[in-house]
Amino acid sequence: MRLNVIKAYLKKEFIDLIRNKMIILIYLIPTMILILFGYGIKLEVTHTRTIIIDNDHSKLSLEIINKFSHTKYFDVKVENISYKEALHKLQTNKADMIVIIPPSFSKDLYKGAQIGVFIDGSFPLRAVTIEGYVEKLLIHGFNIKLPIKIENRNFFNEAMRDYNAIVPGLFGLIFLVVPASLAAIIIVKEKEVGTIFNFYSAPIKKIEFVIAKIIPPFLFHSLNIFILFLWATYLFDVPFRGNFFIFWLTSEIYILISVGIGILVSIVTSTQVAALVLSVIITVIPGFLYSGILMPISSMDKESYIEAHIFPVSYYNHIIYDTFLIGQGFKSSLNVLYFIILCIYAFVLIALGTLLIKKAIK
Amino acid sequence: MEILKVKNLSVSYGKKIAIKNVNFTLKEKEILGFIGADGAGKSSTLHAIAGVVSFKGEVVYKGYAYHSPKEAEKIKNEISLMPQGLGLVLYDFLSVGEHFDFFRDLRGLKKDEEYETRLLKMAGLYEFQDRLAGNLSGGMRQKLSLILALLPRPKLLILDEPTTGVDPISRAELWDIVNEMREEGMSALISTAYMSEASKMDRLMLFDEGEVIAKGTAQELIEKIKDYTYEGEIESNECFSFNKRTYCLNPLPLKKAIPTLEGVFFVNALKKGKKPILIEVPKKNIDVPEIIVKAKCLTKKFGEFIADNCVDLELKKGEILGLLGANGAGKTTLIKMLLGLYPIDEGELYLLGKRIKSYEDRIELKSKIGYVSQKFALYKDLTIKENLEYFAKMHSLTPKETKEKIEKYSKMFGFEEYLNSFPKEVPLGINQRFSLAAALLHEPVVLFLDEPTSGVDTVARSAFWKLLRKLKENMGISILITTHYMSEAEYCDRVVVLKRGVKIVDDEVKNLHQKYPGLDFEEIFLKIYKENQ
Ligand SMILES: Nc1ncnc2c1ncn2[C@@H]1O[C@H](COP(=O)(O)OP(=O)(O)OP(=O)(O)O)[C@@H](O)[C@H]1O
Ligand SMILES: [Mg+2]
Repeated sequence: MRLNVIKAYLKKEFIDLIRNKMIILIYLIPTMILILFGYGIKLEVTHTRTIIIDNDHSKLSLEIINKFSHTKYFDVKVENISYKEALHKLQTNKADMIVIIPPSFSKDLYKGAQIGVFIDGSFPLRAVTIEGYVEKLLIHGFNIKLPIKIENRNFFNEAMRDYNAIVPGLFGLIFLVVPASLAAIIIVKEKEVGTIFNFYSAPIKKIEFVIAKIIPPFLFHSLNIFILFLWATYLFDVPFRGNFFIFWLTSEIYILISVGIGILVSIVTSTQVAALVLSVIITVIPGFLYSGILMPISSMDKESYIEAHIFPVSYYNHIIYDTFLIGQGFKSSLNVLYFIILCIYAFVLIALGTLLIKKAIK
Repeated sequence: MEILKVKNLSVSYGKKIAIKNVNFTLKEKEILGFIGADGAGKSSTLHAIAGVVSFKGEVVYKGYAYHSPKEAEKIKNEISLMPQGLGLVLYDFLSVGEHFDFFRDLRGLKKDEEYETRLLKMAGLYEFQDRLAGNLSGGMRQKLSLILALLPRPKLLILDEPTTGVDPISRAELWDIVNEMREEGMSALISTAYMSEASKMDRLMLFDEGEVIAKGTAQELIEKIKDYTYEGEIESNECFSFNKRTYCLNPLPLKKAIPTLEGVFFVNALKKGKKPILIEVPKKNIDVPEIIVKAKCLTKKFGEFIADNCVDLELKKGEILGLLGANGAGKTTLIKMLLGLYPIDEGELYLLGKRIKSYEDRIELKSKIGYVSQKFALYKDLTIKENLEYFAKMHSLTPKETKEKIEKYSKMFGFEEYLNSFPKEVPLGINQRFSLAAALLHEPVVLFLDEPTSGVDTVARSAFWKLLRKLKENMGISILITTHYMSEAEYCDRVVVLKRGVKIVDDEVKNLHQKYPGLDFEEIFLKIYKENQ
């Protein structure tokens, strides 16, 4: 390997990315995804199985029950059971939400009466959405403030506040999609324009070329690790309980995996548009599905459980969730195993890319 | 000493066979020229030898035999390849100087100030080292690619149509440099579409449909066709006429002429049973003012740099006006101002009698103007046919018209067999032809053609000019055309010559011939350029 070759390409790549303003996208897109999705992911959820325990039996409480019953969002059952029994139903997945109206609710209304709302938090995204509906219905309909507690069957996400589950999950999506597209584009652009001939016709080794193409997306996105981390902890107030070094290192490895995917994409495509579309398609879908944003991997059926473990995103997310919300770090042997698996992924993908990349016109 | 031996070289792309069983040898210090029609297999041969495409057969370079791009790796530090296309190997966002840095590092070279300065001066780029490649003119890009190929002082130089779009002055300088490096022991394989250039090479190989059909010195090749070459031009569907010569297999009652290398193509086409394409343009009277374009003192500045300096220009009805000038003289910039692709910094412009001040003034004129740009604007993801259909749709042609027109032009320009290929897959010359077809689809009354014939083979160029003249004579279409083939200037009614953004000549071709008797147009051009220091 000769440094002068790599240096030549790197210098060119950096000048190019800065002058053609790509650099703006490199730093805008990840932040945009995080903010848009962090705030904006809301799915429409209908027919939430709702149990209302009415201990007040007042005109107001009946009105509330009525309001709940008359939308497609909730399937309401009014039951006369104890708080404990209700919680049990929630935990055994017999209900999705429980609303408890306390005995002197309408009387205490002006003093600041409260309604207890418990939402099954095992699907964080759905829980947040349901929460939104309830809030709208109660606050806008009755001007009632309420503490909503989302009951979570997932052990680590105990105190699930809205963003805690979603925001770390987005890291796995962003660092899969964005570095892959960038890597694919900066290689395919050379094919499209014709500058790839400089590589074909000069005595440059494939590994030199690949390394020169890996470094720019890798370095640029390394900075994004810090930027996104700051957004997560400051803007979204997600707690960070783990080890920052582990978080950082795992993210770097994960970016390498993404870049590796980008290289593979660049081998099979020949226009920038095609490279962009293909790299987004093959990364967005697993990035979303298996990130644990939509549903926790543990609650998937067997088939998708296995599928989820084929994609590196689930390993990454496991470690990221841990560093944000739990903080076991490498004390957990599962995390260590997952970290090693990620390293293997990165190595295999990049080795494969180097091997398969053609140094000749197809 | 023999440095290259090529044995049974074949290249195919999928099912398409690009070349089959090419054999030749190259001696040290020898320059071997590849000539042939577009798509004949010159590029594929050069690519195979440079080790950038898979091939069958064997290439032996200085005793080292290779059979694949992989095996060719070993010799790549002694070879330089410049592929075809206007500055294909350049990065738009890198300056001229940064390109030198990049290529030097890529090859692990030490900086040789003296040599680099010489190369830059030869290419006329010495003053423009800070300019981004994307802002260079087409010919300047070509010259930059060329000097970058020379930078590592290769032992074997492979140039694929290096002088396409390069002005006559620079072409002469390029030959000086190549000859000088040859003295130091370099050999070269060069393909070219300029026959005046081909005749300077030691030996030539004539390619046709993937095979080498003739080898020899220029003199030997010319010798073979002297029985078929006559003086003057005639209208006939049995014979080709181009450049004051007529080529015919059957005897003609005309004076025999000394053939030029160009004739080799025509005679070869005739021998293969090809006939000149009958170009029929219906007589039609178009209703346009006598002055189609009138530009008064147009000026364009890029920062401090003045690309066009107060240029006056007039294009009359039914006139072919040639816009000539060295690379970077401001031809493309001027055309782009006329078309509204660049804002006009100073000056007045009238199109079809109408003063053009803003974008709105141009909208209704769009359907009357046809334009072929130097870097053609084709959609890479569409096939040639789809591209044409797209252009037709843009000008709201009916599907029936579209079909008829595509059929007509593809036959006329001979790109029928390429209709379903993508622009990238076909030779430069074919792309040029169908860009022209795209510009003609909507029957414009004025055509702006920016180097439409660069890189197009001789036979196609002659058909092309025939068409232009028919368009002019039968329909009264006006044409503004730029070219670096000075022989083509003979077909223009009038020429405007630009030098460094300033108009130095605006005169009828026949007046210029009177003024400089006995010279051909290339000589006249060089003289004019020298006189106007
Ligand atoms: N966007 C730009 N910024 C700076 N300089 C430019 C820009 N576009 C063109 N130029 C410069 O303007 C000059 C004229 O360029 P133009 O393309 O008109 O030349 P040309 O006569 O068409 O040459 P060629 O024969 O090579 O096509 C050149 O020196 C070119 O580098
Ligand atoms: Mg130009």
